[in-house]
Amino acid sequence: MASTIGALGAVEAVLEPLAVSFNRPQPERLDAVIRPDDLLTAVRTMVNESWGFLSAIVGLDHPAPAPVEGEAEVEGSIEVLYTFCKGAAIAILRTTLPYSQAVLPTISGLLPAAMLYEWELREMFGVEVIGLPVTGHLILADDWPDGLYPLRKSFVGFNGEEKSQ
Amino acid sequence: MVAQTLDSSWQGVLAKVKNWARINSPWAIHFNSGSCNGCDIQILATLTPRYDVERFGIKLQGSPRHADVLICTGPVTMQARDALLRTYEQMPDPKFVIAVGSCGLSGGVFHGCYNIVGGINELLPVDVFVPGCPPRPEGIIYGVAVLLGALKSGKRPEPIQWSGTGLDGVLHTGSKLEDHHG
Amino acid sequence: MSADTNKFVIPIGPQHPALKEPANFEFWVDGETVTGASVRLGYVHRGIEKGAEARTWVQNLYLMERICGICSHVHATAYTLGVEKLAGVEAPPRAQAIRQIMGELERIHSHMLWLGVAAHEGGFDSLFMYSWRDRETVMDLLEKISGNKVHYSANLLGGVKFDITPELAAEIHKGLEFLDERNRFYLKVVNQDETFIGRTRGIGTMTAERANFLGAIGPTARASGVAHDIRVDAPYLKYSEFPIKVETHTSGDLHGRFIVRINETFESIRVIREILDHLPPGELTARMPRRIPAGEAISRVEAPRGELLYFVASNGSDKPERVKVRTPSLCNWSTVLSLAIGLKLADMPMLLTGIDPCFSCNDRSVSVKRGTQDSSMWSWEKLRQYGIEYYR
Repeated sequence: MASTIGALGAVEAVLEPLAVSFNRPQPERLDAVIRPDDLLTAVRTMVNESWGFLSAIVGLDHPAPAPVEGEAEVEGSIEVLYTFCKGAAIAILRTTLPYSQAVLPTISGLLPAAMLYEWELREMFGVEVIGLPVTGHLILADDWPDGLYPLRKSFVGFNGEEKSQ
Repeated sequence: MVAQTLDSSWQGVLAKVKNWARINSPWAIHFNSGSCNGCDIQILATLTPRYDVERFGIKLQGSPRHADVLICTGPVTMQARDALLRTYEQMPDPKFVIAVGSCGLSGGVFHGCYNIVGGINELLPVDVFVPGCPPRPEGIIYGVAVLLGALKSGKRPEPIQWSGTGLDGVLHTGSKLEDHHG
Repeated sequence: MSADTNKFVIPIGPQHPALKEPANFEFWVDGETVTGASVRLGYVHRGIEKGAEARTWVQNLYLMERICGICSHVHATAYTLGVEKLAGVEAPPRAQAIRQIMGELERIHSHMLWLGVAAHEGGFDSLFMYSWRDRETVMDLLEKISGNKVHYSANLLGGVKFDITPELAAEIHKGLEFLDERNRFYLKVVNQDETFIGRTRGIGTMTAERANFLGAIGPTARASGVAHDIRVDAPYLKYSEFPIKVETHTSGDLHGRFIVRINETFESIRVIREILDHLPPGELTARMPRRIPAGEAISRVEAPRGELLYFVASNGSDKPERVKVRTPSLCNWSTVLSLAIGLKLADMPMLLTGIDPCFSCNDRSVSVKRGTQDSSMWSWEKLRQYGIEYYR
């Protein structure tokens, strides 16, 4: 456990200048909230530190909450979690993108494995990944309707007729 | 030279010979329409020494154009749909379909998921369903034997009356059986 | 496409989108040499992550299990551990030990399955038949314990469903003895058969640096000397009390991957024996709430193919907010796409098999593109035969 705590301390230290905030939801885990513009720098920092490996990129859909009388409408957003693992320690870079500005730069130049994860993120959540060197679909069928992102909460599946045509 | 017109009695003999050849040595093709592989490894297991279906003359091979029987697993994902249809179309008549596993019956645990069609009989006329998740190799061999037994009597498999808890208690064969050309 | 070994670019899809066929792989070739490779996953895409959000926590146990028929227990375990973390519940020691036994038995079955399949890909059908016959022993054991040969459903949220009685333990010991002996035979074959060595030595070689750069995991990476294994790096279940030794090799080639997997089988056999001899007494389940408290949990387990990561998020209700599954094969695909370049087309079946990709063998289709011609579609069987003929 000591090495885990040490590893988390080390990554916190290097991300300090970039992070908006830190959180420790579990003893082995550090969450660092990063602005979308700082993402590439944050990832580069992790790579330069040789801090573990990129294990997954998780997308979370936060649909717009119901509008409240008298208050401005809040836009829905997509939160992207870049999950790095070093031994038992987990460090997550979290960044939130509003639907209207769901754009991120690719990190596949730094970490080739990210390409498949970003590809999946793009087609499941509709996040535009600038510089992603592939077009088309990875997982969904070629005739999948444009603009339809299955893992957004707004997608509730096809009705019976459409499926068996 | 006499034109090769076959009169009805010779057709009958030929049909019997073909039938005999098919029953005693059916050539099967296996197709995975998006299954978790559980059923597929049980199907492959039927080829391995413990079950060894090849000694019954059942041969699993690669080309649809030489196949009599299509053994299909999976809940038919959208990507697999066209490939499955194409495979079926390439098979020469008469052809038969065995759907293996719960997914092939109704989509199994994935019922309702957005990227699947559901049971294989939503797409093709199925002659035999082998339930299970996955079925044992013995179950799969039994399914093939049911098909062969029915062929021997010259007709397609009959629905089996089975009473059990839960569902309506009847295990049906393919719903589109009636309109499938023999 | 860059020839720079540090850059990694995958050639983009079809020249003519309208003519694209649903191939699982695309290889660009120049003569015999592969100049580019691309992949289409999604043949088995069922929409599980979305489906999980519409099912209760317990229903999802059965859904997650069926992501893969070969490594179903490890999926269910990762899911269960994530949910238990959210609920702040720890399964009793006996349950953890039984989960570990099932997991290691599954690893044995998976590695032997792979041995047979890989042998078949290379044209060594007798090895395929032998290993699958012997594998029936471990399937029998799993069936005796759980009632099913595949999809054992050992896990409950909070524990396990069934116990391992002393009689069962004795049967397992007997079965393991047989498996141990057979695997020693396979190790000998792998190390001594000339034809086999000819098709596996020096194929798909990956250095440790490259493995790390490409993000390879599991036995594929361990064959290159990268000693990462979640069971040791971040022990879960009872791996702290009953640890395993990480098996590595230095060659980094396909041959090394065979050796690593067979050695891992020996380790699995050893650790199962150890647990059986020291099975903790006690309960099989702990109480779990029906509504799981809101929060996020990450669980990582060592599947037969490498690290499996589950991200489970709850919104406090009886259904998950999000379940994200990152399978080990997804990490290793990148290695294949990168390593393929410069190899011969005939090496592709064996290279691919080396990462132990988790999908069925008979229906993968391959698109082979020579120069600027339209791609020709090959069935997997054709590619496999091509490889066998080439090396005859």
